[in-house]
Amino acid sequence: MNHWLSLIVAAPAIAAACLLVLKPDQKLAIRLVSLVGATVALIGSLVVAATYDRALGGFQMLESYPLVPSYGIHLKLAVDGWGVALLILTGIIIFTGVLASWSVPKRDKEFFLLLLVLVSGVFGVFVSQDLFVFFLFYEIAVLPMYLLIGIWGASHDVRAAGPFKYVWKRFAVGGKEYAAMKLTLMLLVGSAAVLVAMLMLWASPGVQTFDLQALERASFSHTTQMWAFPLLWLGFGSLAGVFPFHTWSPDGHASAPTAVSMLHAGVLMKLGAFGVMRIGMVLVPDAAATWAPIVGTVAVINILYGAFCAASQTDLKYIVAYSSVSHMGVVMLGAATMTPNGWNGAVYQMFAHGIMTGLFFALVGLVYERAHTRAIAKMGGFAHPMPVVAAFFTLACLSSLGLPGTAGFVAEFLVFVGAAQSQHWWWTIPGVLGAFVTAVYVLRACKTIFWGPVPQGEYAHLADARKTEWAAPLVLGSALVLFGFWPRFLLDSIDGASATFLQRVTTVAEVSK
Amino acid sequence: MNSWIHVLSLDLAVVAIAAAVMLVDALLSLRGKSLGWLVVAALTGVLAASFFVDVVGVTPHGAYVSDAWVLFFKRVFLVAAILGILGSIDWLEQRASRRQAEYYALVLFSLVGMMLLPGARDWVLLVVAFELMGVPLYVLAGYAKNDGEPDSPKLAAEAALKLFVTGAASSTFTFFGLALLVGLSGSTMIGQGVQPSPLASVGLLMIIAGFGFKLGAVPFHFWVPDTYQGAPTPFVSFLSVAPKAGGLAALCVILMSTGWIGSHELWGPAIVLLSVASMAVGNLFALPQTDSRRLLGFSGIAQIGYVLIALAAATEQGLAMALFFIAAYVFTNLGLFLVVHAAAENMGGHGIAQMSGLSRRSPWLGGALLVFLLSLAGIPFVIGFWAKLFVFLEAYRAGLIVPVLIGIVLAVVGLFYYLSVARSTFMAEGTSDARIHSGLALRAAIGICLAAVVLFGLWPDPLVEGANAAARAFMAGR
Repeated sequence: MNHWLSLIVAAPAIAAACLLVLKPDQKLAIRLVSLVGATVALIGSLVVAATYDRALGGFQMLESYPLVPSYGIHLKLAVDGWGVALLILTGIIIFTGVLASWSVPKRDKEFFLLLLVLVSGVFGVFVSQDLFVFFLFYEIAVLPMYLLIGIWGASHDVRAAGPFKYVWKRFAVGGKEYAAMKLTLMLLVGSAAVLVAMLMLWASPGVQTFDLQALERASFSHTTQMWAFPLLWLGFGSLAGVFPFHTWSPDGHASAPTAVSMLHAGVLMKLGAFGVMRIGMVLVPDAAATWAPIVGTVAVINILYGAFCAASQTDLKYIVAYSSVSHMGVVMLGAATMTPNGWNGAVYQMFAHGIMTGLFFALVGLVYERAHTRAIAKMGGFAHPMPVVAAFFTLACLSSLGLPGTAGFVAEFLVFVGAAQSQHWWWTIPGVLGAFVTAVYVLRACKTIFWGPVPQGEYAHLADARKTEWAAPLVLGSALVLFGFWPRFLLDSIDGASATFLQRVTTVAEVSK
Repeated sequence: MNSWIHVLSLDLAVVAIAAAVMLVDALLSLRGKSLGWLVVAALTGVLAASFFVDVVGVTPHGAYVSDAWVLFFKRVFLVAAILGILGSIDWLEQRASRRQAEYYALVLFSLVGMMLLPGARDWVLLVVAFELMGVPLYVLAGYAKNDGEPDSPKLAAEAALKLFVTGAASSTFTFFGLALLVGLSGSTMIGQGVQPSPLASVGLLMIIAGFGFKLGAVPFHFWVPDTYQGAPTPFVSFLSVAPKAGGLAALCVILMSTGWIGSHELWGPAIVLLSVASMAVGNLFALPQTDSRRLLGFSGIAQIGYVLIALAAATEQGLAMALFFIAAYVFTNLGLFLVVHAAAENMGGHGIAQMSGLSRRSPWLGGALLVFLLSLAGIPFVIGFWAKLFVFLEAYRAGLIVPVLIGIVLAVVGLFYYLSVARSTFMAEGTSDARIHSGLALRAAIGICLAAVVLFGLWPDPLVEGANAAARAFMAGR
């Protein structure tokens, strides 16, 4: 038994605890401690990925400590093929996220502390093998966001319009505090639904345990399943941006500071999709199969609706945020196909989208810090003063539209193949259409901002990336290309896990028929 | 005759301390904070003794039974009193330095009443203990008679009067119900079962109503926000937790008198109704509050709703988790009120808006406030999360699905107003940058609460096991 997993989960939290004793004016020390915490976690996840035995598959590196034995709650950590991919993703994002927030303007100590606590929660979710502990970490990952957006976020003007304009004014729509509260409450309503489903599963006759492996073996009554699955789907799904519970995402991501947007769109939304698949579909497979047509159809709406919304935005951050809604639809579509290709694609899309959107938000942050605007209409020709930013932004755009050779292509291709193989082949059509609309809006945005004539006036001397700002584009950009050309490194392990889970899902479904 | 005095040794020790406090005050006239620290030290001694002295046993004629159940409650009360007094020392020295001994003596007598409640098996003893707990609280609620906020100096009088009038009214309810029950059973022993009958139901409901008042459950909650607002805040920290635990203990003993589970149909729906009404009224009325004390008053009403839902489950585990919840609540709410007190002393008022910038002026207090708020809201890795979750778990298992659903939804509503306090202290930039200074005793009390909330949040098992043992003993002794 080795302790890599507990090290990965604990490293950011320990770094956060170390921050407590530092003084607020020790700015460099605060950043270095945070960076060490993030680096240890990243190295840990790379080691786990390297030592994970792909031939063996299944759950490895098991650690178990009793937490509340009388309720069957154990702090049980283990990693499977999906976990490997998502650990690496989280490690990369937090490492680059810390570097990208080197220039946090105020209250640095609290900022890094919350960021690290949040990331500990994310790591915890991906490796916990106890439903209760899973939920614990899930909440930890969601809540610091309230303060992170509310304190360090940016407000922006939203013109009140439409039939609800008085309500908009009343709640200060567009304000960072509005965005923070909206995000927190919507996600917490989601967790409340998850909690109800957890109670249902736990209280089923003969269960009374939260151990995921034991829950997988348990057979739940048809009624329990049919109620539990929609609760889990919409509960976790609200974090994955499932339509119509996605509305927190554009507001939240647009208001959040750079590193927080990176983490939230890059990693946190994946927690939701991971929860739907790992908890919802695997624990109550019967109901999952019954509900799959609805899940897939809603996912298709997500893809198209998100893409069209993104196409009509004029604020750069809103474009990226809506593109996340659209891309998370691809993940959910892959999940709904219930085929090996679809599931592999879904997990790979979580990874690819995480890296890509992290890169997007890091670059948007850079542009915003220099140009002090996010309205794309005011920009143009930024490639001349900042060529590196332009190059990497273009790379992210290409991955977003699924260009072969980038990680985005592998993922979307697998999902669409899965969709074609599923019982609902027509899902492929809106899926591909969504990818086309994506191409339209990302290329348009890219062209407007970066290409074109040399900018005049205040934008003529924008600085390119400097020092720590290099980290995010370099690391994330190379990851996009690397995993586009060499998907096997992750796909082998992902495939193992998908196969195991799917086998269980299909056998249970057949037995119950 | 077997010796039985050891059964009451802890209670007698507290009586002795209270008597000593009054004597010392009369003879020596101690100045400064020393008296407060001495009381804290003595109570800590009693608390430590509770782990070593054997107090299990029964007094003659079975009027008082002491077991793990009683011991659990006694420790909870002692901890609440220690922390409450610790938090009051600085305030008393500043604002009422010549009336310190009375304050301590009154808290101690109230404490004795509480400590006798969970073991009482005789109606007369139960009622006397309950009144002993309650009467000193009326006096203490009006303690800040000279110390009201400038614009509304009558708040203290209102606080005390409301508490007293509601308390007196609720006592009459209790007595009337008792008359019916004792008349039916022909004995003042609580253990003597009452046969179910319409008259017994009326009596039982009367008694539940009477004790519901101390719990602050809806519809007996009207005193809560006003008293919390007008009474001295360090005292409210004690008032908001200990008497509620006392009310819970008394309620359990009373329900047990009817055979607990056997007569579940008799009282179950009443408790569920109280619970749902408390959760709804508490959470919804807290939303528009602008004074932190009133907000916490309504939040306290809501929290009692969560306790009652576990009680309504009418199972051993449900009872255990109600105990766990109340123990968690003691640390959380006590600490929260003390933080509010520390902040208000320096920031010129208890309004939520007046607390803006707290975390900048004192990161330590701001952080503590956040932790306590999250614990009340039921967020992971603080004790309140486990408390709320276990309560819902047990109620769900007992089949109370709809109340649990209502509770979960309202818990999210609760998060909104808890976060809005956090928004004021964390996000808003205050008007001043001056550091906040608070006394050693107050800091110690907050620190202990904070440590308990976080440590039990990381590893709740010891407290869960303690609550389980207590519930087991209670069910066995019935």
